[in-house]
Amino acid sequence: MSEATNPLGTILISHRAIATIAYQAALLSYGVVGLAPKNLAEGLAQVLVKDPMLGVDIQYDGHDLLINLYIIVEYGTRIKSVASSVVDNVRYMVEKAIGVPVTEINIHVRGLRVSNTD
Amino acid sequence: MSGEQHPTSSNQGGLKVRQNLPVDGQDLKDLIEAALVWLKTNQQTVNALNVFPVPDGDTGTNMVLTMQAAYNEIVNSGEKNVGRMAHSVAQGALMGARGNSGVILSQLWRGFARAMDNLETMDAAILVNALVEGRKTAYKGVVRPVEGTILTVAKDMATAAEDAIQHTQDLLEMLEIVVDAADRSVKHTPELLPVLKSAGVVDSGGKGLFYILEGMLRYCKEQSLDTPLATVQPLALMNIENSMEEIEPGQDYEVVVDFKPYTPLDLDRFYNDLSQIGTSIQIGEGDGMYRMHIHVEKDKRDDPLKYTETLGTITKVSMENLLAQLEENRGGVVSRLSFTPVEPGQIAVIAVSPGLGISRIFASLGVTGIVEGGQTMNPSTEDIINAFENLPTDKVVILPNNKNIVLAAQTASGLTVKKVAVIPSQSVPQGLSAMLRLAPDGAFDDVVREMSDALQDVETGEITTATRSVELNGVSVQKGQVIALHNGKLVYSASSLEEACLGLLARAHTTERERITLFYGANLDKHEVNRLADKIRNGYPGQELEVHEGGQPHYQFIISIE
Repeated sequence: MSEATNPLGTILISHRAIATIAYQAALLSYGVVGLAPKNLAEGLAQVLVKDPMLGVDIQYDGHDLLINLYIIVEYGTRIKSVASSVVDNVRYMVEKAIGVPVTEINIHVRGLRVSNTD
Repeated sequence: MSGEQHPTSSNQGGLKVRQNLPVDGQDLKDLIEAALVWLKTNQQTVNALNVFPVPDGDTGTNMVLTMQAAYNEIVNSGEKNVGRMAHSVAQGALMGARGNSGVILSQLWRGFARAMDNLETMDAAILVNALVEGRKTAYKGVVRPVEGTILTVAKDMATAAEDAIQHTQDLLEMLEIVVDAADRSVKHTPELLPVLKSAGVVDSGGKGLFYILEGMLRYCKEQSLDTPLATVQPLALMNIENSMEEIEPGQDYEVVVDFKPYTPLDLDRFYNDLSQIGTSIQIGEGDGMYRMHIHVEKDKRDDPLKYTETLGTITKVSMENLLAQLEENRGGVVSRLSFTPVEPGQIAVIAVSPGLGISRIFASLGVTGIVEGGQTMNPSTEDIINAFENLPTDKVVILPNNKNIVLAAQTASGLTVKKVAVIPSQSVPQGLSAMLRLAPDGAFDDVVREMSDALQDVETGEITTATRSVELNGVSVQKGQVIALHNGKLVYSASSLEEACLGLLARAHTTERERITLFYGANLDKHEVNRLADKIRNGYPGQELEVHEGGQPHYQFIISIE
């Protein structure tokens, strides 16, 4: 749970909500063709239910908001550039939506999708 | 770009396009160069448009860098085969792709090259294929294409080319049709993407792609590539602050004039006249008002004003000395740690800190100076004296924050005429705890006593790796194990950081305390820190846990328990 407190009360935003924003932002980024399960358990669960936070991991310790993304990239793009634009995109969308600064975004490129070879 | 570097010097490729002759590898190279030059000329215009998705204003720059990388790949190539040349362009663009629009651009080139695979020359039909293939490749790179972006412009270009090939085989005409389609598509982007519409702009990446194609066309028509066309931005969107970064030597003054023209403004003339006066010209328009922005030399700083007066009624003028501002900004960056300045008669505190993060915390608590040093890098007596000798006060408190530095600090206090007290803090937590009791205007002896008393308020834990095997205080340690020190005494050894931290907390009087603060060291993985913090939080739900970056070497953690 991420929270913000003002004199009127407290706003709690669940990890799941943040993950959904990050997931959508990642998919809108050019070069990202999908997200990948973080681990086997998630991979199995995904077969049963479509999870809107697949491949997104959120950690918040009251100070720092960390986002880990597990992505699949289109073959033939420059992975480094794709990854950094995902970071920009996700950071922008998440910060805009929840107003909490994101401390760290880590991108794990879990695979490439080959549509064409040259 | 100076004149002779331009492809226009020979205009071989342009001539061929005009005569509708097949274009070979060298001609393509000329076209690419023209595209790059024209994009560069209009780089700032593209940058100024950037609102989506991250308003960082660098789309133009990213696209220029990508095209530059593509051109660098072929600049010395004598390749005649247009297919192989196109592959080199794609390769260069791929390697140099910067930013979202750069990546998309590189994909367009990749498709473009694939369509020309091993072809000797390019004609209108092949150009159409290449544009179509570029569109296909670019669209494959994204799950949810956002329309109203560079992708849409690429798509519209390809569609227009597909239609046109039914009734023309002329290469120049085809290029004109494509550029025209790109132009219309760019102008249509705000209708597709609300964020553009609300900002009153067109898509920056799409505009960049338009300039690339238009550069080729202008080259073929032998039009100039190094003077930007007059462009007018919506007034609300003029991004004048950003222009600070690119001050040309000698152009020290920024002048912004708002005016209402007497007669409709001839933009091209206006732009040309301004470019005689200065650089970084931007023109904004809104509601019958115009705003012009220009960088000029010191002597010419009144010229924009005099010139604008001949055209209309001036409503507002602002003038700034950029050079002076820039220097001011630079000064600010250097001293990132902001210390509390001390006034004569106040008590100054000098703290020894083992890492940047800890220095920041000390600075935020009001120390006057920091001496870097810690376990294996003890500062010299001289370092310590230098830190306070020039301060405008004669009352100084030193926090050595390490057992081994206490002595050097005491020596320093004997070598100065100032009144110096060393608070024998043996660890960072003790030093921080003492800082909390500082009253800069209090009586010196009282403050020193208070601060010394505070050392007892806190327990210190330190987690580090054993450098040799030893048995001490009944704890046996193997070299390489993680060890925990409680108030400087070895209390626990373990094989993992987690075990050592929990072992330490169990041996300290943690449950009687209120707060645990972790200062994690340099080179420690942030995830590991967070995992550990979660463990501690679970184990000690009654205590508040804070985690700070300490940045100290050797010690993975310094833990304060108070």
